[in-house]
Amino acid sequence: MKTSELSSVIPCAPVFDGWAPRDIRGGYTSDLLSDVMSKAKDGFVLITIQAHKNTVAVASMLGLAAVILCNDRPVPEDMVEAARAEGIPLFSTSETQFEVSGRLWAALRGDAP
Amino acid sequence: MSVPLLRADLHNHSCLSPCGSLDLSPAVLARRARERGLDLVALTDHNSARNAPAFRESARREGLAALYGVEATCAEEAHILVLFAGVEEALDFSEFLKGHLPRLPYDPRIMGDQAVVDAEDNILDLPELFLGAALDLGWDEVCREADRRGALVIPAHIDRPAFGALAQLGFLPEGPYAAVEALRPQVRGEARGYPVVSGSDAHYPEHVGRRPFTVDLPEGWREPDGIVRLEILREALAAGRARPYWETAP
Repeated sequence: MKTSELSSVIPCAPVFDGWAPRDIRGGYTSDLLSDVMSKAKDGFVLITIQAHKNTVAVASMLGLAAVILCNDRPVPEDMVEAARAEGIPLFSTSETQFEVSGRLWAALRGDAP
Repeated sequence: MSVPLLRADLHNHSCLSPCGSLDLSPAVLARRARERGLDLVALTDHNSARNAPAFRESARREGLAALYGVEATCAEEAHILVLFAGVEEALDFSEFLKGHLPRLPYDPRIMGDQAVVDAEDNILDLPELFLGAALDLGWDEVCREADRRGALVIPAHIDRPAFGALAQLGFLPEGPYAAVEALRPQVRGEARGYPVVSGSDAHYPEHVGRRPFTVDLPEGWREPDGIVRLEILREALAAGRARPYWETAP
């Protein structure tokens, strides 16, 4: 599954356009960035409510494929700029981390949405 | 000309912090600090500076130099010390933060009392807003706003497993820091070259003075009326003239 297909399995919208689609190799759900750093891996999608520039720094360091920001958290402009510069797509959703994780887990396992 | 090395502690709570002991009033903090031989002490309750007026009076009584501020909890749930030389500036910043605290249900029986007091330990107010909550301002926003107001910005206990920058954010972002506070000497590289200080993070009377740092300040570091010249302290920190307690302990 590619990052360009995320919006078809999760009710989420890209925060900005113009990024290159990447293969998704897994996912990780956490709001503690040190925990994300020790567990998330290259090509993973991060599911979180931490809508801040520092999340992009961690995503970039780990080579994450995308970040999904839950609960309709407002996305600050400096986060968008950083993500654009790093080529990391951000998605926004009104769903919770629990709901998004369930949908992504099922999609990656091959279940029909 | 230099004055004798000062013993400073810029991280202390009072009975206004929900997790702080009701016994640690600003008056008790100032008295214990004097008894422990401290010279320069800051009051930094969680997200509020409303006990600063009582601390100013208490510190004067004990002959201590004082700074006034808060320990801000940013949206990432990491702690940042924000310090001012004046009570009014601290109260203004505190009022600004109040507008960024969530309206959470708060039960003092479960979450702890939050008491605004005077210098004689009389309770003046019991704020209904839970001060231990995270602000809706991110790390960078808190640092930027504090810096804009001329405060000393010091990331708190960056190496603490809870509420420290390294655990919450994964690393210490660049920022307008006068210093960073650490608990252990091993933090060197992770402090990224910012000056390192220690702090007691006192929540109980017996914590006061447990992890002070020493700093070498030039003559004239206080105004004639006793107010600390923040820029002189900032320069001394930047010049590496502060030593955390683990470098000074006998």
